[in-house]
Amino acid sequence: MSDQATIGIFLLLTLAFPAGAMAAAWLFRPAPIQSAEKRTPYECGVDTRGPSWMRFRVNYFLYALVFLAFDVETIFLYPWAVRFQALGLFAFVEMLVFIAILALGLWYAWKEGALQWY
Amino acid sequence: MNGFPVLSAILAIPVLGAVLIMLLPAGQRAAIRVVAAVSTLASLLLSLGVTLAYDRAAGGMQFVESVPWVPDLGVHYALGVDGISLPMLLLTALIGFSAVYASWRVEERVKEFFSLLLLLLTGVMGTFVATDLFIFFLFYEVVVIPIYLLIIMFGSSKRVTKEYAGMKLTIYLLVGSAFLLVGIIALFVQGKAALGHPSMDIASLAGVTYPVTFQALVFALMAFGFGTLLSMFPFHAWSPDGYAGAPTAVSMIHAGVLKKIGGYGLIRIGLYVLPAGAALVAPVIAVLAIANVVYAAMICLAQKDLKYIVGYSSVSHMGYVLIAIASLNLVSLNGAVMMMFAHGVMAALFFAMIGSLYQQSHTRSLPDLGGLAHQMPRLATGFMLAGLASLGLPGTANFIGEFTIFVGAFRVYQVLTVLAVSGIVLTAVYILRCLGAVLFGPRQPQWDHLMDLRGPEMVPLLVLGGAVLLVGILPSPLMDLINLGVGQLLAQVDTLRMGGVL
Amino acid sequence: MPYGLLAPEIAVTSLGLVVLGVGLLSRPRPHPAVRVLAVSGLALVLCWVALTFTRQASFFGGVYQVDSFASFFRLLFLSAALLVLLMSGRYAARFGPRLAEWYAFLLFATAGMMVMAGSGDLIALYVGLELMTVSFYVLSGYLLADARSAEAGLKYLVLGALSSAVMLFGMSLVFATARSTVFTAIAAAVAAPAPSPPALLAGIALLAAGFAFKVAAVPFHMWAPDIYQGAPTPVTAYLAVASKAAAFAALLRVFLAALPGQLPDWQPVVALLAAVTIVAGNLIALAQTDVKRLLAYSSIAQAGYLLVGLSAANPYGLRGVLFYAMLYVFANVGAFAVLTLVEVDTGGTGLDSFNGLGQRAPMLAMVMTVCLLSLAGIPPLAGFAGKFYLFAGAVQAGYLWLAFVGLLMSMVSVYYYLSVAKAMYIGPAERTAPVTVPSPARLCLWVCLAATLAIGIYPGPLSALAQVSALLP
Repeated sequence: MSDQATIGIFLLLTLAFPAGAMAAAWLFRPAPIQSAEKRTPYECGVDTRGPSWMRFRVNYFLYALVFLAFDVETIFLYPWAVRFQALGLFAFVEMLVFIAILALGLWYAWKEGALQWY
Repeated sequence: MNGFPVLSAILAIPVLGAVLIMLLPAGQRAAIRVVAAVSTLASLLLSLGVTLAYDRAAGGMQFVESVPWVPDLGVHYALGVDGISLPMLLLTALIGFSAVYASWRVEERVKEFFSLLLLLLTGVMGTFVATDLFIFFLFYEVVVIPIYLLIIMFGSSKRVTKEYAGMKLTIYLLVGSAFLLVGIIALFVQGKAALGHPSMDIASLAGVTYPVTFQALVFALMAFGFGTLLSMFPFHAWSPDGYAGAPTAVSMIHAGVLKKIGGYGLIRIGLYVLPAGAALVAPVIAVLAIANVVYAAMICLAQKDLKYIVGYSSVSHMGYVLIAIASLNLVSLNGAVMMMFAHGVMAALFFAMIGSLYQQSHTRSLPDLGGLAHQMPRLATGFMLAGLASLGLPGTANFIGEFTIFVGAFRVYQVLTVLAVSGIVLTAVYILRCLGAVLFGPRQPQWDHLMDLRGPEMVPLLVLGGAVLLVGILPSPLMDLINLGVGQLLAQVDTLRMGGVL
Repeated sequence: MPYGLLAPEIAVTSLGLVVLGVGLLSRPRPHPAVRVLAVSGLALVLCWVALTFTRQASFFGGVYQVDSFASFFRLLFLSAALLVLLMSGRYAARFGPRLAEWYAFLLFATAGMMVMAGSGDLIALYVGLELMTVSFYVLSGYLLADARSAEAGLKYLVLGALSSAVMLFGMSLVFATARSTVFTAIAAAVAAPAPSPPALLAGIALLAAGFAFKVAAVPFHMWAPDIYQGAPTPVTAYLAVASKAAAFAALLRVFLAALPGQLPDWQPVVALLAAVTIVAGNLIALAQTDVKRLLAYSSIAQAGYLLVGLSAANPYGLRGVLFYAMLYVFANVGAFAVLTLVEVDTGGTGLDSFNGLGQRAPMLAMVMTVCLLSLAGIPPLAGFAGKFYLFAGAVQAGYLWLAFVGLLMSMVSVYYYLSVAKAMYIGPAERTAPVTVPSPARLCLWVCLAATLAIGIYPGPLSALAQVSALLP
């Protein structure tokens, strides 16, 4: 069997699968009941209460920023840790500098009150 | 004076004077005036010394200084004088010296006034002694801004406001200079390609043979730039308004020497470097020159303000210089340089007299004035002298200039020259009308309080009036010098590559 | 590798961090030592760059270049930063407790600019660019209580991000064609004389648009006037001078080091951009009555003159760009220094706040006049020599029309520059008290005045420096 035929069969099967599932559901389901609830568009999560155009505390964003900075730091730290033995002292000092700069940023954010919840 | 950079000294002395004035406290008016007078006197004496020490047997550029300035652009700080630039330098020094005395009675912001005036003088003298195109242009535009500031701070608003007059003058001159600068840059680029190395030296650039169309284009650009400064029709509109708005000293310097930079530039750079272009563009300039002479003279007939009369008359007189340059021969060019000198002295004298009068009478309007010869005999003498020189009376320097111009121009443009001579008749009409209305007639009692010229105000009359008469009666020393300069310039043009174009 | 040559970048960044730290330690009123530290640190770095000017090195496989071009621009940025720091003393009091951060952000922006000038790689360039612009986003909106400043900050953030995205897209297209981000490798990969592939052309167009935005060239200039006017005046000064020069440094690097083979493609576009920028910038400036906004439009026009040099793409034009960028620092910072002092004194930046300045503070009026006329290109001030270079280059490259447009427009610009002079010298003065000028600001004014006059009268030394530093295709 050629590769094209494999792909062709695969394509047909994928098209058939949702159609089959829908058909099976139609066959085996109980008779549908019409109600207002059924007609609302589907949304995940909790229904909103009150107007949704409200202000969020700026602290959310500050938290997110600080979190992001340290998240990125982790991404850098990981490969560095894996190759630590090969990289030597120079890379170690460089990473210390990097962390020091980030720590200064954290200190600044702290002093600015970014970590305080009002 | 061998080895001593005398030309640099002439340029530096007014600058030092200006710096000194800026350092003096504003209240020290007397000291400020003395510094200005002393520095212009020093420049005048040095210029006279240079003129006398110029070796006429050797000719050519003398007192040459050359210091590499911008190697990358081939610019040298190069100065030198020859028979064409010496009269102009002398003229500037004369007028500058008189202008300080004509402004002796300035009482407000004395410090700003004299420091700007001295900077202005340096700029003008620099253009006449620079032999490097870049340095020439550097000095050329230095003059514009001090003039603007002097006009708006110290000028007078009569028919137009001084702000308007100053800005009009500035914009006209700067737009003209923009075209000039395009021409200079094009010349530089073409010269670099031909010479193989960058050079801004006027003589080296003149040694290159440029394509004729290129020459015509660049000469046209220069004629536009220099022509605006020379108040060539139809780019003359700034001149009467500007003079009317300007304070006395600025009118003197502007009409006296600044306009002459235009004529000087056309000869020294336009004609010398681009002779074939000059030959092509010359007929156009000649026609415009006649428009200058006749049109401006007719406007003069209708003017009532003394400054406007002299302003338009200077536009008219510049027509003679233009037709002389357009005639492109030795005699006419001699006449052009002579005329520039003569007109400079005359116009400065005229403006000095008007300034002295206006300062007391607060009017320059012909119908208001009259019979002033009764109250102010010395002022009347100055007016008469300037007026008669203006209409080219024999015995004044202007006669020498105009006569030489007509002789030279008649060989080339017969009809146009006849038209130009008719301008003399018009000049006689408006000058005599003006002199009559201001000076003569019955004594008018409302002018009895006017004081005649006295003390420092006498200096412009004596210096400039003396120069008009001296050159008029004894023209040969100056004329020989001019003849030497123009002759050598034309000889170089001829031998280099004229091929019978002139 | 000679890491000593990277010392300026490292030093400026560390200085910024130290200043930030000292500021944190001395809250809420920042210690006066912060300013001394920043100024003396910058001065030391400036000396170091001047001393090591002739040394060259290439780092990380060409990703970072320390050559005379980079050093020239480092000198430029450091001098600009120093002058702005010197003149901003009294204005900076408005920043209140955030004073130390103002110095820190200025230093970070400077570090970003230095990285841009030294970059030999698209990514390094972009990192430097973002470091600079992010600092400026913050600084533009630094006067929190001032609605205009806040608006400027937000506008700059949105539009700056957009232009960065455009530029990044251009970079990605260039990378897609050349398969490298290092300039020398790009030049080698796309050097073929055959017509450039469309993807590369699109990349060049997007890069040009991005850079045109950063240098505020018409028609990408819309952001500049509002942001220049809204931002605190010293920030505007630094934005107008150094950020523009940095964008030009990067522009020259990319177009001359990476894309010299595509010269016929971009040269006419740049020439057209230059002409439009000069004309529009100058004509709109004619109608301004606020000096800060006037200077904003004038700086748009100045970008046009600098573009002339790039469009010429020959030695005179490219030396001219460097020459002009340097003299522009002194002329423009001088003008902004006077504006800052006047704003502190009168509270406004309109033309009428300059009324009578010629009597109240002759020194300020003189510096302002000289600096503005230098921007207009009036001899014997520095601007003239710069314009001579730029337009000689343009004429040599065959763009005579561009020289016409440029020189005519620079004479038109005299009108609005002189309108400031007019206000200063004959405007009716409402106040008569002399303006107090603190001594650091006085030093800045003297330096600007002296440099503008000296470069104009004796252009030789700067011209020689520009000659060895210019990047050629």
